Parts: sequence; structure tokens; C-alpha cells
Amino acid sequence: MTEAITTHDHPPAGIMRWLTATNHKDLGILYMSFGGLMFFIGGAFIMAVRAELLLPGLQLLSPGMYNQLFTLHALIMVFGAIMPFATGLNNYLIPLMIGAPDMALPRVNNWGFWILPFAAVLLLIPFFLQFFGIGSGASAAGWVMHNTSLDLQSGIGMDFAIFTIHLLGLSSLTGAINVVVTVLNMRAPGMTLMKMPLFVWAWLITAFMLILVIPVFSAAATMLLTDRHFGTHFFDAANGGDPILLQHLIWFFGHPEVYIVLLPAWGLIPHILATFSRKPVYGYRAQVYALWAICFLSFLVWSHHMLTSGLPLAAEVYFMYATMAISIPTSVLVFCWLGAIWRGAMTFETPMLFALGFVAHFGMGALTGMILPDVAVNAQYHNSYVIVSHFHYTFFGGGIFGMMAALYYWLPKFTGRMFDEKLGRLHFWLTVIFFNMTFIPQWFAGLDGMPRHIADYALRFSAMNFISSLGAFLLGLSQLLLVYIVVKCVRNGPKATGQVWEGAQGLEFTLPSPPPYHTFETPPLVK
Amino acid sequence: MMNEPEVTNEHEKRERRMVQWVVALVLFVAVIYAVTFIKLPVWLPALK
Repeated sequence: MTEAITTHDHPPAGIMRWLTATNHKDLGILYMSFGGLMFFIGGAFIMAVRAELLLPGLQLLSPGMYNQLFTLHALIMVFGAIMPFATGLNNYLIPLMIGAPDMALPRVNNWGFWILPFAAVLLLIPFFLQFFGIGSGASAAGWVMHNTSLDLQSGIGMDFAIFTIHLLGLSSLTGAINVVVTVLNMRAPGMTLMKMPLFVWAWLITAFMLILVIPVFSAAATMLLTDRHFGTHFFDAANGGDPILLQHLIWFFGHPEVYIVLLPAWGLIPHILATFSRKPVYGYRAQVYALWAICFLSFLVWSHHMLTSGLPLAAEVYFMYATMAISIPTSVLVFCWLGAIWRGAMTFETPMLFALGFVAHFGMGALTGMILPDVAVNAQYHNSYVIVSHFHYTFFGGGIFGMMAALYYWLPKFTGRMFDEKLGRLHFWLTVIFFNMTFIPQWFAGLDGMPRHIADYALRFSAMNFISSLGAFLLGLSQLLLVYIVVKCVRNGPKATGQVWEGAQGLEFTLPSPPPYHTFETPPLVK
Repeated sequence: MMNEPEVTNEHEKRERRMVQWVVALVLFVAVIYAVTFIKLPVWLPALK
């Protein structure tokens, strides 16, 4: 299909290589490492939360501390772990997949990354300062700050969170603009839009979504800041403002954000399924159109998160049906994934296991997502543990399983070494078992009426919470195996070939593993 | 195969397109940010 042309290999030495990195592969590694680190920090916070919920009554945490911990867990996992990891993948892979020498704006790329550690520190500082008697702790209003009165009245933690949101938004916007400009301008000759790998398509669409919703989120955060400190009353009901307006603005960002997290995974899964089924990607055009359709619809459904906020009936019915309509393009994707493996010569290496795990668990998240926007059902389950479980089947079952599949699939390409396949499979099965052990009981607790965001609960929820907490601890512990697998792979894994996997297709697999520091300085010819 | 002036021309065109895209996208972000401030506080409560 292609002729890959590679050149010299001379990365700069020492710490300056990383501080001043403009090479897309270096920045990709930085983003992914940062995402991995934050995955464990965010995970540690939720271990404390689950420890509190292990038994009824308050044992370890005050309700205020509990609220801070689940808020930080959510903010860190969404904005600090999954999104940066997916951005790392796009940085590393998009230029290789489209035959470009680098991202279009390499210095902006460096800036976009180095904002992140400062944003993370800003988010965490107020949490630790409270132990020295300074301030009242971190933001405790949840990842989308949907509790307006709490947002307006809480301490400096909220100001730090608002500042963090602006910084993260800036980082995301620079990354998104970089993706759009790179994909639209730097494709190798012959690489037409409809020849691009689905992962590139998914990221192009994700970038457009980010460009549309991040300014809304940032503006909402700025309005909150001016309400808190500069005498405006956008959201302050006591002075003629509208508290529900904040929910509208936040969810206009928050719902597309779900797809921003999921689209990169939807883009990479078809490649992995095709590789290990020894078949070409199934339904390429259908998947591209479905991704665009989901992108379009995701902007029209935000108020299904607010069905109990007193919307008029007509609006509720509209948001219910509009949300259900997303299931049509989503089903197209799922059927294409199943079509990819149908009668394929499948083998079950670790990336394939995680990809199939993704399809199964995301499927459960998506199916429950069909039920929840029903206005009558939503009135029952709003703000219950059903939502927590649905959310995690979508974000963990979809987002994290997808990222794990990608990590195992391209790790030999990144490092030039194979990982321990047996340990990889063990990691998969431990993750599946403990993930379900954590979140299936939360369905039952939620169906039984357990509200979320509370540090204590009625006795009848005890059994489900005990199992869920036990599952969460084991899920957290089992993720340490991933660290061991990656370290072992980097240190002394057997050498990987350029092709890596027997059925792998794409420009990146025409290069040696790891790829040279500079690649495609002369564009490859794509036929 | 392109000759050297054609390659330079192609390179310049690509650079120009890149700058145009970046400017357009940054302006788009600024417009959305401004509209959120100025108009959405009026439009969204109307959903009630």
C-alpha cells in the first residue's frame, strides 16, 4: 500500500528533551505518562471514598471531606487522566497515521502539555492546604459544578477549580486546533480524507467538539467567578439571576464531553478488532458518518441531565427523544464492530481482549443510557447510584477499556519491545472481574433508592456497598499490575518487529519499532 | 514529480492555509465565548 521513508534518529539528551519537547512522539509519551500518573492519583482518592462507604455510618471521613474527594476523583479522572491519555495517543499516532513529519504547531503542542501539570497542582493545592489550617479545602461541588448554591458559597477551593478549568480549557483548545490543522493540511499525498484511519477521523471530530464546547465551559466558569467576586448575578437567584442557567451551560459542555472522552476510543477499537480478526475495518464509511451524526446530536441533548429541574413538558419530551436518537448512530458503530469480528480468524491477545471488553461494557453503559432519558424513569433514578453505575460503565467500560486496549496495541510500537502477554491477559481478567464487582452492586443499590454524593447510607444498602467497596479496592490494586507490565516491557521485553501484530494495517506499522525520532520527513506515497 | 519552485509554492500554500485555519478557529472560540456571556443568559432561561 505504501512506501515508508525514514531518516536519522537523534533525540536531544537529558531533561531538556522533555521540557522543550516539540517532537510529537516525545509529547505523546509525556501526555500518556501524565495521564497514567493522574489515573493512579484519581484512583487513590476514590479508594478513600469507597473505604468510607464500606460500612454504614461515618468511619473515616467527614461529609465535607468526602465531597472533596469524589469531586477531585472525577475532575482528575476526566480531565487529568482519560483526556490527556487520549491526547497523547493522538500526538504520537496521528502524524504517523497520515504520513506527516510532526503536528502542525509543535511549539503550541509543548505549551499545551506543560499547562497540565500546573493545572493539576492548582486543583490539588487547596485540598492539601486545609491540613495546615489554610482555606476550607478543594472544590466539593462535583465534576460539573452542578450545585449552583454550593458553587457560589464555597471557599477558595472553588476559585482554584475555576482557574484550573480555564487552564485545562486552554490546553484542550490548543491541542484541538493543532489536530484540526494537522489533519486538514499535513496528510501525505494520496491520503484523502476517506482514506484516513478511523482513529484520525474520530480525533478530528473530537477536536471540533472541543472547539465548540470548551469556550462555553470556560465562559460559564468565568461567569461563576464574576458572580463570586465581582458583583454580577448570572446565577444568583436572590438577586434576579438564574441558578438553572449554570446547569444549562455546564451540561451543554458536559454531555458532548462524554463523547469527547469516548470518540477517541471508538476510533481506535475498529483498528484493533480488524487486526486480531485478520480482516479489514468493517463499514468504514458507515462509521465515519455515524461518528459525525453522534457529534451533531450530542449538542442537542444536554438537558436530559436536567429532566428533574422543572423544564416544560415539551422540552422534556424533546430531550428524551433526541437522546434516544443517539442510539441509532451508536448502534451503527456497534454493529460495525461486530461485523469486523464476524467470521474473522480471531485470536485473543491482550489488546483484543480489552477491545472486546470495551464492546461488552460500553454496550451495557449505552443500553442503560437508552433507559435513563425516559422522563418517567429519570424521575425515579435521577441522582441515584444507577447514574453512578451507568456513568462508570460508559467512562470506565468505554473510555478506560478503550485506552487500555490502545496502550497494549501500540505499546510495542512505542517502546520497540513486546510486553508479557500472560500478565497482560491476567490484568484484563482481573480488571473485568473487579470492575463488575464494583459497579454491578451499585445498580442494585441505585434501583433500591440509594442517592449518590452521600457519605453515609441506610442499613439496607450495606451489603451492596460492602461488595462494591471490596471490588473497588481490588480493581485499584489490580491496576498496579499494569505499571509492572509496562516497566517490564520497557526494561527487558523481547524486541518487537515493525509490523508488531500479524494483521496490523496502517502507516505506523510500516515503520520500525520504536519509530525513529524523525519520521516521514519525505512524505510516503499512499495509493 | 514536482520541481523545486513547485515544491516551494506548495509549501507556502500549505503554510498559508494553516495560518488561515488557526486564525479562523481562534476567532470561532472567541465568538462562542462572547455569545455564551452575552446571549445565552437570555436564551436559555427562555426554555422555561
